[in-house]
Amino acid sequence: MLVVMNWFYEKTSFKEYAYDNADQYFQINKVKNCELVYTSASSNFSQKTTEDKGKLSQYIGQFYPSLAMEAFNIPATHVGTHYKLLQSIPKENHVQTVICAVNLRSFGADWRHSELETALNKSLVMSPNRPVLLNRLLVSLNAYDNKSQEERAEQRMAEWSELTLPYEAPMNSVSNWCAVEKWGDWSNPKRQLADQFIKQYAFVVDDNNQRIKDLDKIVELAAERNWNLVLSILPENIDKADSLVGPKLINLMYSNSEWIKHRYEHLDHVKVLNNIAILSSQHFTDKDFPTEHYDEQGRKLIASYVAFALRKHHSKAFASPAWSTNLNFK
Amino acid sequence: MIFNSLPFLFFISSVLLVFYAIPHRFRWVLMLFASYFFYGFWKIEYLSLISISTIIDYSSSRIIYESKKRLTRQLALAISLMTNLGLLFFFKYSNWFLSDLVDVFNLSLVDSANQWRSGLNIILPVGISFYTFQTISYTLDVYSSKIKPEKNIFKFALFVSYFPQLVAGPIERYSRLRNQLFTPIKLSGDNITFGLRLMLYGFFIKMCVADNIAPIVDQIFDQQQNASSAQLFSGMLLFGIQIFSDFHGYSLIAIGTARLFGVKLIDNFNSPYSATSIRDFWNRWHISLSTWFRDYLFIPLGGSRVNHLRLASNILIVFIISGIWHGANWTFVVWGAVHGTAYLAFQWSGLNKSKSLIGWVLTMIIVFLAWVFFRSDNIQSALDYIIRMSEFTEGSLQLVWNPIIASFIGLFLISDFIWQNGNIHSWLETKPSTWRWLIYAFLLYSILAHAGTVSHPFIYFQF
Repeated sequence: MLVVMNWFYEKTSFKEYAYDNADQYFQINKVKNCELVYTSASSNFSQKTTEDKGKLSQYIGQFYPSLAMEAFNIPATHVGTHYKLLQSIPKENHVQTVICAVNLRSFGADWRHSELETALNKSLVMSPNRPVLLNRLLVSLNAYDNKSQEERAEQRMAEWSELTLPYEAPMNSVSNWCAVEKWGDWSNPKRQLADQFIKQYAFVVDDNNQRIKDLDKIVELAAERNWNLVLSILPENIDKADSLVGPKLINLMYSNSEWIKHRYEHLDHVKVLNNIAILSSQHFTDKDFPTEHYDEQGRKLIASYVAFALRKHHSKAFASPAWSTNLNFK
Repeated sequence: MIFNSLPFLFFISSVLLVFYAIPHRFRWVLMLFASYFFYGFWKIEYLSLISISTIIDYSSSRIIYESKKRLTRQLALAISLMTNLGLLFFFKYSNWFLSDLVDVFNLSLVDSANQWRSGLNIILPVGISFYTFQTISYTLDVYSSKIKPEKNIFKFALFVSYFPQLVAGPIERYSRLRNQLFTPIKLSGDNITFGLRLMLYGFFIKMCVADNIAPIVDQIFDQQQNASSAQLFSGMLLFGIQIFSDFHGYSLIAIGTARLFGVKLIDNFNSPYSATSIRDFWNRWHISLSTWFRDYLFIPLGGSRVNHLRLASNILIVFIISGIWHGANWTFVVWGAVHGTAYLAFQWSGLNKSKSLIGWVLTMIIVFLAWVFFRSDNIQSALDYIIRMSEFTEGSLQLVWNPIIASFIGLFLISDFIWQNGNIHSWLETKPSTWRWLIYAFLLYSILAHAGTVSHPFIYFQF
């Protein structure tokens, strides 16, 4: 009876539901036939509505025109989400190399305990290779991490008040650091932005960080599936962080990205690109919040770094696009 | 742990298997552990609260029973009542009292009170209103010598914490549960079939009706200033259906779950929207609470054997306290007062006794208008809602309406009217097995494929 029900649901209502609530299900089906897979969040595409529309993943693909490439680019996702998506790729696939955009900001408390996590987790329940009716039931039973906004805010605040930073007071916790007077009082936009930078980047990555555990799983999955893996640590606005908060914060950003690099670079099937400082401030399109949204030139620069790293595995397919000769490297 | 969750499905399957696998004398111990696990699954801290309530009520009732001195008995009763009502007040009403009531009386303490309140960060423990009322009824029954108190504190703890009806009722009496909880029971096909049928239908109306309506109702009430009069009217009707299907669904799952263990719980609903008067409505809606208020508040106040003025004030008191029981907000006070006033109007006009179409129409108008107060965040918002609804205005709110949801609502309401005193179990008993299996398949498929996906806990959990 359940088998018939599953078949009936798949033929009648499933697609409509998935289009509205879990469209990554369809992305997975596209991705499985590609040689190159790129996983990222909103850093992949332009935030503007002008002619600047090329995706970072498309720019990478232009270096390898003979290889099929698709991207998972769902806003607000992170390596934890990417792991679940990659895991959902059917065992029989054409994937050779996975390029995983690693966003340093996503390792911090603000993103790990983001209010968007509940919606993300919910949409991912439909992805795994299980009977679709079972996935649908799990969604309605809320069988995912569905903490309330208040619970997540509480987790964030608790982590920010922990004395975990390697500096003397008052820079020993995010809360204390934010309380330090800088650029005038709270009404000053510069002060607000400086505090946002502290909240996003003032942390120390270690084995217990959930994103590290997620990255470990991606590395393991790539080994299991015989995929090459490129971990591309995305550029952050180091110049802005330095000018607003100072060297203590950018030291944390550098040391965290290096820590991630050292953790995986010795593995044969993994290549880690630490691109954290390759872009100057002008390439970041958002001026009032630290994000990884880049202008066209910025996305092309990152793409070229990634494309060069891919030559290790796909040297025969490499071809420089015309635009790559006009890039201004930092 | 909520009923419509994966942990509950694992939990109930495991407890049921172990329950029938072990000798009878250990079964109540298993149920006690299971009940504490069930409740502690929300927050482990809740267990201390229910334990305190259990210890105080057990001790008080023993003293009441064993003491010959009237003063001692009264003192023990007072301690029990003060503890239960004190806990209820502290967790449920202190925020409201400190902000709204202090505001109303314009006391200068408001700032310090608010600071104290936010410092405490009081969270309402799930089900406190239900088990508090259950234990109060126990102590009062012992005091009035209706029952003998339980000797074994752990058996009493099971009565207080019995997991199928712990968090949102039905509010049970010790005299009904005592024998059922501790009497040997054999695995019975009738009990299992009855229980599973009620649970299946309960899950259907909670997950397919209430949970699918919830986002639409939320949208209308949250954006009422953009909604048209027709949408507001629909929102009012839909909330009435949502709260009924939500609470009725919960109650059926609770009753069905208990029946799997051979325990018959009281029915909580009897087709309330076919009521032809306000009194009739309250005989059909949340029956275990209505009878509790009748037995432990209305009758002690003098019942109906008093003069008209006293009777009117007693009825208003009961309804207003019933409103306050539902939540710490003036909207619930108004909701209770509307029902109380309407009850008196029906009483004096003779409509409470007649079964007429006009009575049904008037009852539904009052019940559904009162739901607007129940659902709104504050009285002003409720009044604005009703005024805007009556102005026949246009609106810009875009609602997504699914015909499948409409058909679920239709099925639910029609079956509720057809069954009246019965339920799906007694109705299915009269049908041939092919029909029965088709209906099971329909309910199961609807739950699997079309249950609501927005996380929406049972409405009555907040009470």
